[in-house]
Amino acid sequence: MQILNGSGVNKAFGGRKAVDNVDFHVDENEILGLIGPNGAGKTTLFNLISGAIKADSGTITYKGRVISGMKPYRICHMGLARTFQKAKNFPDMTVRENVLMGAVFGKKGTDNAAAERKTDEILSFVGLEDFRDKSPGDIALALQKRVEVARALATSPDVLMLDEVMAGLNPTEVGEAMELISKIRGSGVTIIMIEHVMKAIMSLCDRIIVLHHGQKIEEGTPEHISNSKTVIDVYLGE
Amino acid sequence: MLTTLINVLSSGLIMGGVYAIISMGLSMQYGVARILNVSHGEFIMLGAFLCFTLVRSHVHPILSMLLCVPVMFVIGFVLHRTIYKKLSDVSGSTAAFESNSMLVSFGLMFVVQNVALLLWGSEQKGYTFLMRSVKILGSPIALNRLLVLVFAVAISFAFYIFLERSRLGKAIRAVSQDPSAARLLGVRRTRVAAICFGIGAILAGCAGALITMINQINTSMGMNYTIIAIIVVVLGGMGSIPGSLLGGFILGFIGTVVNYIDPSLSLVAYYLIIIVLLLVKPSGLMGGKS
Repeated sequence: MQILNGSGVNKAFGGRKAVDNVDFHVDENEILGLIGPNGAGKTTLFNLISGAIKADSGTITYKGRVISGMKPYRICHMGLARTFQKAKNFPDMTVRENVLMGAVFGKKGTDNAAAERKTDEILSFVGLEDFRDKSPGDIALALQKRVEVARALATSPDVLMLDEVMAGLNPTEVGEAMELISKIRGSGVTIIMIEHVMKAIMSLCDRIIVLHHGQKIEEGTPEHISNSKTVIDVYLGE
Repeated sequence: MLTTLINVLSSGLIMGGVYAIISMGLSMQYGVARILNVSHGEFIMLGAFLCFTLVRSHVHPILSMLLCVPVMFVIGFVLHRTIYKKLSDVSGSTAAFESNSMLVSFGLMFVVQNVALLLWGSEQKGYTFLMRSVKILGSPIALNRLLVLVFAVAISFAFYIFLERSRLGKAIRAVSQDPSAARLLGVRRTRVAAICFGIGAILAGCAGALITMINQINTSMGMNYTIIAIIVVVLGGMGSIPGSLLGGFILGFIGTVVNYIDPSLSLVAYYLIIIVLLLVKPSGLMGGKS
């Protein structure tokens, strides 16, 4: 069952095509990896899906409804959440308050008590209970990224888009992040992840899409991708 | 001596309270809606004349102030929904919007001021209200001033608690700290910005109404308050509500003390504070990193 689908999606900045006529789909409860060299258009694609920017042409449908052109808050209310490559936590709030924001505003009609309950559940789900009253600026990078993930999860998403949650983490932390991602998928959430840590991509993803200069150059299982001549050329040819 | 001290102290608190309200309003409009509202003082004047007109039609001053709240909110909200929303759509970036919106508010200042001039003329206006005085620690304080003090402090703290506790307050804080993250968490950013602009207008209007209870007013009073509000916001830290609260009281006290020594020096003192602040702590007393 396809939960998210894009066809002929285009976005140019100035004269440069950041996303060039990309078709994609995401199946329910899979983990889809999005890889490619820097500047390939991965984050732009996330921005287009989440509604942060508008596509020049093409359509994106989510659960059968066209979402391209919708306001970000509406897309969020429909169950699409994301994290940012560079953690965008609210600096003047505690870790708990950060997560609470997602719980309060993510779904329509959540009352305060329910949001508080949800926040505490998520804090323990991602293992942040001990840091709940800390400022997100005062904790390790790996934990800051976890706050981002927790905040996105608090919006009760059906699809979660993770933008390089493992960048800058040490091997132990990468292992912990991988565990968390499988756990999130286990709870029924569909995941799209942008990542440069190949070990994580190869072992977690069901399917991978490779972008290069805004174009989709390859798509398939991890084995297929690691044996693809086009992909090897792109990564080693530069 | 004690009488003078209590006099200066109470005046400082009263002025500080009014400054705090004004500055929190400006801080809301700048911190969340990204509009440096140069016409803020004109909304204070508008609130003052609205209240004055109502009092002249035999409405109680306190009721008049309460009536200002919805009227000022609607004016602010509609202004944002029409002019500023449109401006934000045509401005390419936040930086472009910030400079465009400041220019628009500058124009708005002249429009509001001249419309007020047509409606109410240029002479001083005022009414008497609660002129009796009570003795506090042996020195007399006028009841109207005491009332303004109570209201100013109550409004400031009520507003602060609203920001900390309410759902809307949370949305406002989220947008002011990171607008793009906030809207991806389901916060309606432009709606929140419009509401904040409206709240800024409410605070300006309430301050204006409070001023009518203790001072005479005229249609060109606004500019003075705009300058004070900008100084307080810079002093407290751009966009920081607790900063504006603190900065308002600090400026109120300093202003009163200087005023007691030599009234002509108060503006000099304000600018001196700003110069020192910019040299020592440019982000303001409670400002963030940026």
